[in-house]
Amino acid sequence: MSTFIKDFIERETLSRRNFLFASAAGLTTAAMPGVFGGGMARAATDPALAWSYRDRASAYWNSIVSGGEAFTESLGKPKDAMTSLINEGSSEKSLADIKAFLAKNNGACAIACDANDSPNARPVAEAAQAAGGYVSTIWNKTDDAHPWDFGDNWVSHMSWSDEKPAEETARILFEAMGGKGGVVHLGGIAANNPAIERLNGLKNALKDYPDIELLDAQPADWDTTKAAELMASFLTKYGDKITGVHCANDNIAYGVMEALKAEGIEGMPIVAYDGNPEAVQMVMDGDLLATVFTNPHWGGGITLALAYHAAIGTFKPSEEPNEHREFYGPTILVTAKDAADFKAKYLDNVPSYDWTDFWGPSNGPIVYK
Amino acid sequence: MNRYLTRENAIRWAPLMVLIGLVILFTAINPAFFSQRNFARITVAAAPALMVAIGVTFIIVMGSIDLSMEGTVGLTAVLFCFLFLATGGTLAVGGWVAMPLILLLGAAIGFVNGLVHVKLRIPSFMASLAIGFVGTGAAVLVTGGDIVKIDDDTFRALLTWRIAGFPLMVYVVGGFVLLAWFIQSHTTLGRNFYAVGGGEELAHASGLNVRRVRIMGFVLAGMFYAVAGILQVAKLGQAESVSGANFMFISITSVVVGGVALWGGIGGVWNTVVGVLIVNVINNGMVVIGLPDFLQDGVLGLLVIVAVVLSTDRRSISFVK
Repeated sequence: MSTFIKDFIERETLSRRNFLFASAAGLTTAAMPGVFGGGMARAATDPALAWSYRDRASAYWNSIVSGGEAFTESLGKPKDAMTSLINEGSSEKSLADIKAFLAKNNGACAIACDANDSPNARPVAEAAQAAGGYVSTIWNKTDDAHPWDFGDNWVSHMSWSDEKPAEETARILFEAMGGKGGVVHLGGIAANNPAIERLNGLKNALKDYPDIELLDAQPADWDTTKAAELMASFLTKYGDKITGVHCANDNIAYGVMEALKAEGIEGMPIVAYDGNPEAVQMVMDGDLLATVFTNPHWGGGITLALAYHAAIGTFKPSEEPNEHREFYGPTILVTAKDAADFKAKYLDNVPSYDWTDFWGPSNGPIVYK
Repeated sequence: MNRYLTRENAIRWAPLMVLIGLVILFTAINPAFFSQRNFARITVAAAPALMVAIGVTFIIVMGSIDLSMEGTVGLTAVLFCFLFLATGGTLAVGGWVAMPLILLLGAAIGFVNGLVHVKLRIPSFMASLAIGFVGTGAAVLVTGGDIVKIDDDTFRALLTWRIAGFPLMVYVVGGFVLLAWFIQSHTTLGRNFYAVGGGEELAHASGLNVRRVRIMGFVLAGMFYAVAGILQVAKLGQAESVSGANFMFISITSVVVGGVALWGGIGGVWNTVVGVLIVNVINNGMVVIGLPDFLQDGVLGLLVIVAVVLSTDRRSISFVK
């Protein structure tokens, strides 16, 4: 709370000071839209860049940040020209940081952001619109909030549909199980959208495999330690009935494999999700059947690129079709036969992307159920 | 009243009764719960948490609190992996050197923690929480958010090599429990923790160097966190900056459930052992009996309250804050 108050005071002081300076210089009229909103979109020549995200303690967000930095460097700037706004899982901090950044730069900003939870996307977009800044979002937004309702300032939203890829990994798993037996699912945090979609994918595949029984599905909270303990409990409950394991992400799969290792169980078919380097190596070694890569490096770069190019006027978001403003990111299935190629192409050497090909690798418009 | 059936004895043995009651309850619902394999699974899950809980027991007995465990476990686990890999990557060659060094590092973190608390006169709650954040931050810094893996089969024998059905790490933890019990019961330092927790002014007036005892307490706790860090790596074969996540909740809950009073001076190592087992038996048992996952957190909370009600002597204190 104290940081919130501190940030609030800082922010208010900043905007008041900016206003006074601007008035003194006789620039009041020019500064008015920036300070008091109105949502007038003005092209900035050199907008300040920022990425707002959860933390640096995971391979996923590190990869997102590396993409943002790669884009920043492609503009001929040092990579620290991109400011990291780390929200540590707090939506309040996410919003406060973004407002402070907008105020500090008088709205001349290009911000990429995961709003941390769905309801926070709207206030973030409103803040950008009020200050005349440009924001592109990923992952979290409510179904009723759309970039096209915010003029040009909410440039785009990218998400990933996990249901289909999770269904594909389930099919690979079921084939490896010989089309019969019992499967357990270890999921993410129960209320998280990706966790729900990945379990749904498994359930969709089950319809085509009548001899496979879903023994249990419980949340392991994306966590390796929790996954190991949950898998151990499953082994007590179901014992030899478990002939395959469907994991909601790579971290969970690591825990499952250790729980099996402790019991001396070898060769259990397991599938995962996320395509982290360790998991890809496990696919190559045959310890894991499949994982799914969502190319966070590209996602991190292109999200910032969209906000930047909207800010400098390369394209006008409101003139783009809806599928250019709300779209799915790419997903790549990684299995034993293509893991080595995949590793060489995406992990050993990070490909250099064309950061003006905004929609090429994307995966179609977001569909609401 | 029977000589053995006093109120005092009932409270002393209540945590163990709760543990036995839970085992009977879960076994009655699903007999698969009561098997040697499952007990081995529960003890493996409990092993690192028990080391953390024993560390914090010394601090709680002094009437203070230590919340630095998540950062300390995360940092020691990560640095253990780096050191282990740097010294040969296998226990047989030179990897064993990493173990004493990491224990020293844990002690050093505890020492800083104690100094900040005692010398700067910052309440232990705040000082240790801050040191914990520093630890997590340092772990993020050295790993850059990545995972560090250890594949050495000799080291992993802690998990894979079994004696009488239980992995080696369970016996290692048993050894450290005995060490902790020895420190608590047979050393001056151990007795001094109780003196400080039972009445700090009195201990001070009796000529005890309370500040020194406090710092030593944190050093000891830090060492036990480092043991937990190493065991966490042994259990999962990897370390990352969040390797210490959840240990704060599970260790302090276990300590209290086992009957160690948060206001200090009451309880000890054995209470903590029973408390950690209670929490892990509940976690394992809820899955084994097939309790729906959306009920599990709620049931854990209720069982914790019941366990605390049964196992602490609340009549001896006038108010709770």
